[in-house]
Amino acid sequence: MSATTFGWLILLCPLLGTVVIALAWRWLPGASAGWIATLAIALSFGLSVAALIALLGRHPAHRELSSTLWSYASSVGLDAKLQILVDPLSVFMALVVSGVSTLIHLYSVAYMASDRGYRRYFAYLNYFVFSMLLLVEAANFLLLIVGWAFVGAASYLLISFWYRRRTATAAGIKAFVVNVVGDVGLVLGTYFIFKHLGTLDFLKVFAGVKDAFAPNQGDLVAGCVLLLVGAFAKSAQIPLHTWLPDAMEGPTPVSALIHATTMVTAGVYLIARMHPLFEHAPAAQDVGAIIGCLTLLIAGTIGLAVTDLKRVIAYSTMSQIGYMIMGVSVGAYAAGLFHLMTHAFFKALLFMAAGSLIGAMAGEQSLDRMGGFRKAMPFTYVCFIFGGLALSGVPPFSGFFSKDEVLLLTANQGGWHWILYVGGYLGALLTALYTWRMIFRAFHGEPVPEALELERGTIAHGHPFNPATGEQEDTDVGFPGPEHHTAERAASMRIAMAVLAALALLGGLIQIPHFDNAISNFLRPAFADSSLYDQSPSDTLLVVGLVLGALLGVLGILIAYRVWVQRPGTAERVRRRLAPVHRLFVEKWYFDELYDIVFVRSGAAIGRFAQLSFERVVVNGVLVGGSAGLVRAGSAAVRALQDGLVRVYAALLVFGVAAVALYFLLQSS
Amino acid sequence: MNALLAVAQIKGPHLDWAGLSPLIALLGGAVTVLLLGLLRNRLVRRICVPLLTMLVLAAAAGLSIWRWHHAATLVSGALRVDDLSLLLGLVAIAAAAACVLLSLRAAAPAVAGEGEYHALLLSTVSGMVVLLAAQNFVTLFLGFELLSIPLYVLCGSELRRRGSLESGLKYLIVGSVGSATLLYGLALIYGATGSTDFSGVAAALSSGSLASDPLLLTGVALTAAGLCFKCSVAPFHQWTPDVYQGAPTPITAFQAVATKAAAFGIFLRLFDGALINAQPSWGPILAALAAITIIVGNVGALGQSSLKRMLAYSSVAQAGYMLGGVLVSTRLGLQATVFYLAIYLFMNMAAFAVIVARERETGEGDDIAGMVGLGSSRPLLAWPMTLAMLSLAGIPATAGFIGKVYLIDALVDGGYAWLAVVLVVGSMISLAYYLRVVAAMWMRPSAGVAGARPIMAGGSAEAPTATRLSGLEVSVVAALFGAATLVFGIVPSPLLSLARDAGKALTGIF
Repeated sequence: MSATTFGWLILLCPLLGTVVIALAWRWLPGASAGWIATLAIALSFGLSVAALIALLGRHPAHRELSSTLWSYASSVGLDAKLQILVDPLSVFMALVVSGVSTLIHLYSVAYMASDRGYRRYFAYLNYFVFSMLLLVEAANFLLLIVGWAFVGAASYLLISFWYRRRTATAAGIKAFVVNVVGDVGLVLGTYFIFKHLGTLDFLKVFAGVKDAFAPNQGDLVAGCVLLLVGAFAKSAQIPLHTWLPDAMEGPTPVSALIHATTMVTAGVYLIARMHPLFEHAPAAQDVGAIIGCLTLLIAGTIGLAVTDLKRVIAYSTMSQIGYMIMGVSVGAYAAGLFHLMTHAFFKALLFMAAGSLIGAMAGEQSLDRMGGFRKAMPFTYVCFIFGGLALSGVPPFSGFFSKDEVLLLTANQGGWHWILYVGGYLGALLTALYTWRMIFRAFHGEPVPEALELERGTIAHGHPFNPATGEQEDTDVGFPGPEHHTAERAASMRIAMAVLAALALLGGLIQIPHFDNAISNFLRPAFADSSLYDQSPSDTLLVVGLVLGALLGVLGILIAYRVWVQRPGTAERVRRRLAPVHRLFVEKWYFDELYDIVFVRSGAAIGRFAQLSFERVVVNGVLVGGSAGLVRAGSAAVRALQDGLVRVYAALLVFGVAAVALYFLLQSS
Repeated sequence: MNALLAVAQIKGPHLDWAGLSPLIALLGGAVTVLLLGLLRNRLVRRICVPLLTMLVLAAAAGLSIWRWHHAATLVSGALRVDDLSLLLGLVAIAAAAACVLLSLRAAAPAVAGEGEYHALLLSTVSGMVVLLAAQNFVTLFLGFELLSIPLYVLCGSELRRRGSLESGLKYLIVGSVGSATLLYGLALIYGATGSTDFSGVAAALSSGSLASDPLLLTGVALTAAGLCFKCSVAPFHQWTPDVYQGAPTPITAFQAVATKAAAFGIFLRLFDGALINAQPSWGPILAALAAITIIVGNVGALGQSSLKRMLAYSSVAQAGYMLGGVLVSTRLGLQATVFYLAIYLFMNMAAFAVIVARERETGEGDDIAGMVGLGSSRPLLAWPMTLAMLSLAGIPATAGFIGKVYLIDALVDGGYAWLAVVLVVGSMISLAYYLRVVAAMWMRPSAGVAGARPIMAGGSAEAPTATRLSGLEVSVVAALFGAATLVFGIVPSPLLSLARDAGKALTGIF
């Protein structure tokens, strides 16, 4: 079978999984829905590997294959086709997405076991994976937009999975609204490109972009910036990031899957996929690089201050995606995508470990209430350590290689990019600090009652409650189930985490500078037309970067150890001395408040005014009332003429004929 | 003897039996069915007659498919069998087949006699086939009447129900006025051009200043009015709601689809073929009629509680949409009209099949109240109805959406953008009554089937009240056409290519 056949089958498996679970859920006993879903995604992963092998069997120059299943409408002026593109980039993404998804499905089988919405959960989860794979395999803008929107919808469904929890539905709505802003950006950006090139097909667009646009031409830059809006919304970059922390209301495996490893990296994929456009519009590239750098710094500072375990990891995700966006925006495609892959490993691991810890805390997520879990949860602790080391970029963990490569290529651009370089390393220090703050606060210090209880062999079970507001809940459908699960007690969770821990440790080894460049070699055919792909920065810079990265990581860990383990009061003292700064970080740089004032409140005020003045009088009174009245009167008139008398009908017919004939006679004279 | 033989050797036209074969099958079938219906055996009448009718229709359909891409001019230029006439003929045949299935347990054939009922149905279809292939005024009128007269009878075939008789009588009277108008118009055109052939008319129009001749234009006006009557274009639509409501529902379903296909087919042939050179004269007035039709149809459908009446007004509105495809006189418009006629079959048949089923199951007749709670009680009926309503309204992922997109494209392309706007506004209004049906099915709980009294099919009050389920065949028709609505909304390309082939049949347009 050819690579494109595998490409279609990759999509088919999760789609079938969704349909089967959604239609047959009534007859699926016990945990079978979870296993069906896991199997579907595992098959997808197997098929992705098969596609990889099929692709590697071809000459590097012929590794971009596109396949059309059918044309929806090709004669109404645009070519709307169900068409996939199988090339190294899409296969790489499919491998990461389906691989990590398989593990997260496996984890969820145990984690969600007692939830009353178990089967609905897996139907959603498979639907999400299908949408994400559709997004990365799309070969034209139309299908990309479809996948993009599907992913947003799946994210909404999963964030609001516990739909009786007020905070969860609010978070789902917020995520959906922000994502729709991004969708609009994507659609408008597509329009700018379609307007000039007259096609939606990726390969045709990429081939024609240099002829259709002058470098940095206004329309192209506008189109690319609008595409960036789409990328920023999906990837939670400033200023469209506010939904991601709230999205942590969803079940923890969902956070691991969607809001850490797959959907939020769609923006990175988009920029890498659209590289011929962005390279032709360097102004848009600069926007992406600056926003990425800003995000990684701001998110890092907030991560230092928030106390909700999952939100710390969420801000860390934002920050790491900032690195990737910066990378792909300066032409470091392989490095950015490499970081995407390693990040998927260690961030999924961290989320899974966090889920295990939250299970031990019976749903509680606040770091303030955690402590001393080291002895009670040795496995989870080790996983946190692995994830933390990889995230902080300590050699030889995977994050070490990928992050430094992004920064190296940023510096290689020269000029003001050095500012980004410095910002990136500052961010690296912040990363180590907030990561190890989290780990030390949760696992070191005096054991909390829940930890002691776990050491005695029982998981804490309080009344079910909402971790964000403390509201009382029950455990029926629409709320989390009654049982809590930790990795120490559930084999499937442990397997998934162990695999990811191994990958977090070893994943970086496949791309070591000067040693093996597996990823950049594999991806090269997809970036054949790129002028930025093969850069060779000086070895001095390379070595300085690697050493600096490792040192900063270790330094951050040491500071964190001193502040939160050796002298536990230090943090309090610093906080008091720098109260305004701390306040700024805790309040998340006041982004939510700013949006509240600028968009929500002013919008509401304008709306109220418009309702009072314009809507009541003009819209309701004249337009709606008038047109409805008109239609109603028309309807009455039509029915009044329809009195059932044949003579009236015949008369009208004659009148009609007379009118038509009269018109023609007037024409003739 | 020799002299006698010499006299007997009348110089007849050459007959291309292959080209005529679908028509021969239909006419021969009609006669055979009529004769078979004379047998008094109940089994023969109840089973064999519909079976034979289906076979005849299948044969006609098979022969039509066999003649695909074999365009031929037959009987000295009286008929032309090409992809356009074959495709629309197939639509009519499919509608007739669905009608036979829907009539299997209906009251009308039992009352009127199975043989007569089915023979009349086949005659109507053969009239449509003649009309669709007509190449001169004589065959045009012959086909027109062969279509109309059996249909008048079929509308009144439920002899013991006043509504049915009223429907048939009204159709006859108003229809006769329409036919007379058409005939008068054809005569005037003949008078102006001196030819009864379409080609002769076209030739006369292309040379000289005949295009503004009062005699010709009056003829065109009367002809247009006569055809508009058959297509139920306002202000000639008045008969439509009454006839649709009163006629037996299977017949309503048949005539809603098939009559439209045949009438629009000849509209295309005559106006976009023979009269194409006078298009500047008749284009604007037809556009005005289309706009009026769209508004009147959609507005009139709003307050209806009878589903058949609602669909009658809806068919008026849809006729307005399709008239748009005719009047632009472009190949794109032609294709759009043909495509729309084809999908019109799917969506209307699905809707009428559900109405037939509900008429038999509840005592509500065709009232919208019969649809309440259908989503939970009979999802297999509710889904086709939902799809049909969404498709008629033009919601994406249904065939109706593609059809409307094509028509709008054709209108804008042909310089009638304002009519496209009217079309869109009309579709907006139409949502109000289409979605009302959807809402009734899905959003209101079933009022309790216990209260409904099951009565005889067709809502005949005189018939003995007996519990009858709607029957498998009705559900099958609904499901089949509902599925087609969805499938061709997602994969329209096969149907589009058929429409494109049919669009190549007329040569005078671009």
